[in-house]
Amino acid sequence: MTEPLSLGRRGLLAGGAAALGLLATDALAARVNAATLQGPLPPRVDVVVVGGGIAGLVAARQVAASGRSVLVVEARDRVGGRVLNHELATGGTIEAGGAFIGPTQTHIKALADELGIATFKEYVDGNNVYVSSNPLIGRQEYQGTVPPDPTILLDAAVALQQLNSFAAEMPVDAPWEHPRAAEWDRITLADWIRANTVNSAGIENLIRAWTQPGFGADPDQLSLLYVIHYIACSGDETHVGTFERNSDVVGGAQESRFVGGSQRVPLALADQLGSRVALDAPVSRIEHLDGRVRVHTARGRVSAQRVIVTATPEQVLGIDFAPGIPAGRRTLLSGMQMGRLMKCDAVYETPFWRTDGLTGFGIADSGAVRVAFDNGVQDTDHGILLAFVGGATWRQYGTLSLVERRAAVLQGFARMFGDQALRPIEYTEHDWTHERWTRGGPVAICPPNVMASYGQHVREPFGRVHWAGTETSTYWTGYMDGAVRSGERAAVEVLENL
Amino acid sequence: MNVFAIVQRPGFPAYVHVHPNGRVYTATYTNPKGDAMRSRVFEYTADGTLLRSWTPPDQDLTKPRGVQVATSDARGRLVLLEKSRAQVLTLDVRTGEFLVQATIPDLPGGGAPIPNYATWGPDAALYVSDYGQPVIWRIPAAGGTPQAWFRSPRLDSPAGFGTTGLVWDAPRGSFLISQQSTGDLLDAGRGHLYRLPVRADGSPGALETVWSSAPLDLPDGFGVAQSGNVVLALLGTNQLVKLSPSGQVLERYDGRGSAVPFDGPSNATYLGSRVLVANQSPVLGDASHHVVLDVETGEPGAPVVVPAASVLR
Repeated sequence: MTEPLSLGRRGLLAGGAAALGLLATDALAARVNAATLQGPLPPRVDVVVVGGGIAGLVAARQVAASGRSVLVVEARDRVGGRVLNHELATGGTIEAGGAFIGPTQTHIKALADELGIATFKEYVDGNNVYVSSNPLIGRQEYQGTVPPDPTILLDAAVALQQLNSFAAEMPVDAPWEHPRAAEWDRITLADWIRANTVNSAGIENLIRAWTQPGFGADPDQLSLLYVIHYIACSGDETHVGTFERNSDVVGGAQESRFVGGSQRVPLALADQLGSRVALDAPVSRIEHLDGRVRVHTARGRVSAQRVIVTATPEQVLGIDFAPGIPAGRRTLLSGMQMGRLMKCDAVYETPFWRTDGLTGFGIADSGAVRVAFDNGVQDTDHGILLAFVGGATWRQYGTLSLVERRAAVLQGFARMFGDQALRPIEYTEHDWTHERWTRGGPVAICPPNVMASYGQHVREPFGRVHWAGTETSTYWTGYMDGAVRSGERAAVEVLENL
Repeated sequence: MNVFAIVQRPGFPAYVHVHPNGRVYTATYTNPKGDAMRSRVFEYTADGTLLRSWTPPDQDLTKPRGVQVATSDARGRLVLLEKSRAQVLTLDVRTGEFLVQATIPDLPGGGAPIPNYATWGPDAALYVSDYGQPVIWRIPAAGGTPQAWFRSPRLDSPAGFGTTGLVWDAPRGSFLISQQSTGDLLDAGRGHLYRLPVRADGSPGALETVWSSAPLDLPDGFGVAQSGNVVLALLGTNQLVKLSPSGQVLERYDGRGSAVPFDGPSNATYLGSRVLVANQSPVLGDASHHVVLDVETGEPGAPVVVPAASVLR
């Protein structure tokens, strides 16, 4: 460590937030990397944080602000975890990973504000598009949450109302304590739909447009308890979570994005932490030893009083803990599965759909593009359409060749917005299943029979090891806001034990 | 008045504790229609962010259950009052360890014991009010068996509407005690705020009435301002009342205009110049009303003293 191990609050807050706002992602990333890619690790610190995503960086910053020494060890050669900017060849910065921010996500918003990172509203002027494979319905334009498909409209409204009422009763901190936890955890969302809707096939197919981008999974993979809890988490301490706040653009979790891309948040945090972040340092072993914890990384060993692990469940299971992590937690982590998701973006000379009176948001019940967003950014006038390809759609299209998939995605856009969508000036995609240190996205999901029996271990410290990461959050689990919240909570835990 | 935080299921919060660590704690209490979950203890930041929660072990699930985070000891542990087993527990939030400190005795001839509120007294002992029995309990500073320190028929009450709030008012050398409803037939339905001086030898002095409520006000928990004024929650008529040290009514807070109305306000715990109020909704059981409310009072609360010797076991 070349810098003093303590970093005062004044230094953290004043140390560049204003300047960072002026730096492009590439320049900032280069600065972060230069500080953190080389050099020996310190032999001893107060706290080691495993994982340089938002959760880990937030926790580390809070520890540093208290005057304690901290080191973040990150397996990748970059920070951000599931948050990753992508510079378009035709100009502009979009996100390959987590991007959106919405109402009640006050923790990520406050953090971004402090770092000088502004947000902008998603384009919403005009109509959304719904494409049904039913020839009697075909392509329709609509506004609101539920597409105007008469074969599902009433069913969907009743089902969503019921899910919301379940969510209103769900303890976000302890869903396993709910009186119906075991009952709801035995079945999938698809099971529940089949038992509680008239046109269950239609509803299940429609709701894939929510589960595939939101979970990287399909209704038959998701525990009903987990889904109800996820909806309950879509709020904050003064707003009960609702399906609409999770799924919608206006008033929902897709309402806004960050100017310059969401990865500016972790990059700015890492810049503040400087050489307290060690990249290219995957952790292989964590051992409790003589009243401390020894963390073995590819760049050497570090001893700490406390460790915060923010890695995804699958990555945690890849770490050799000594002694081994308790059986309950191991079972929980083994049961959770990363979703399957990729993001596909097509860039056009202009956002032509806007002149057609369309928002760029679309839902389809078939094809490669089950849900589309206007992914336009402020640093280019080009139009950008984004498709989430997740779950079963990923299994069908994610395994095709790039050429085949590109054609399928563009065809999906064309069904929604017209043939102009077939002629982009750039096409790019990012498959999170190929990320060595994430193995999927956007979140680790719970299939049946996991949460009710083992969920109580999700935040339970193990000796001197504490847990963070968006999956451990109470509110907005699975989102950047949940990552911030979890880092803040984990920092409180370790600081009161130092 | 604002919503500080939603209290998650099972809800029915009955008290709020502001810890010297700057964080805020509450817990869930009894559902009069039947408890379907174990009680929970919640931790919030001072701005209302939910941080952590815990489930007390070994509750008697055959009985009505509930927990109040009454105070904290010199080690920083939370002092919990658990209803189903009438126990005083501590919870170390750093480790998650619960420890049974005492079981409140069942006195002959009265109702069942229900430890309700607690405060550290002048001798660093823990004093506990009993909703079901007309007694103030004393648990020695280092822990031990509860002693019936003060008993009085004036603390008795019909139908279980018993003794509620209890605060050691150090500048005045006395305890303040609230009572929901008296057992006196001529005074039926009225609650009281009492003052109980402590003599130099540590024994209780004579109980004085500071203020009497209207019928069905059901006075519950309260907070004391630096000035000595008392902000008292009236659970039955959904308001807070601010009293002077001598019992003069200075102000009433009805919460008009709030997104969540007063619905069984159960306490008033100072956080700066605001009071945090557990909205219990004990009658309607409206889960959307199970929140901690945040009410500006315009004057700072008296500092809560946790004596260095108050360590229990």
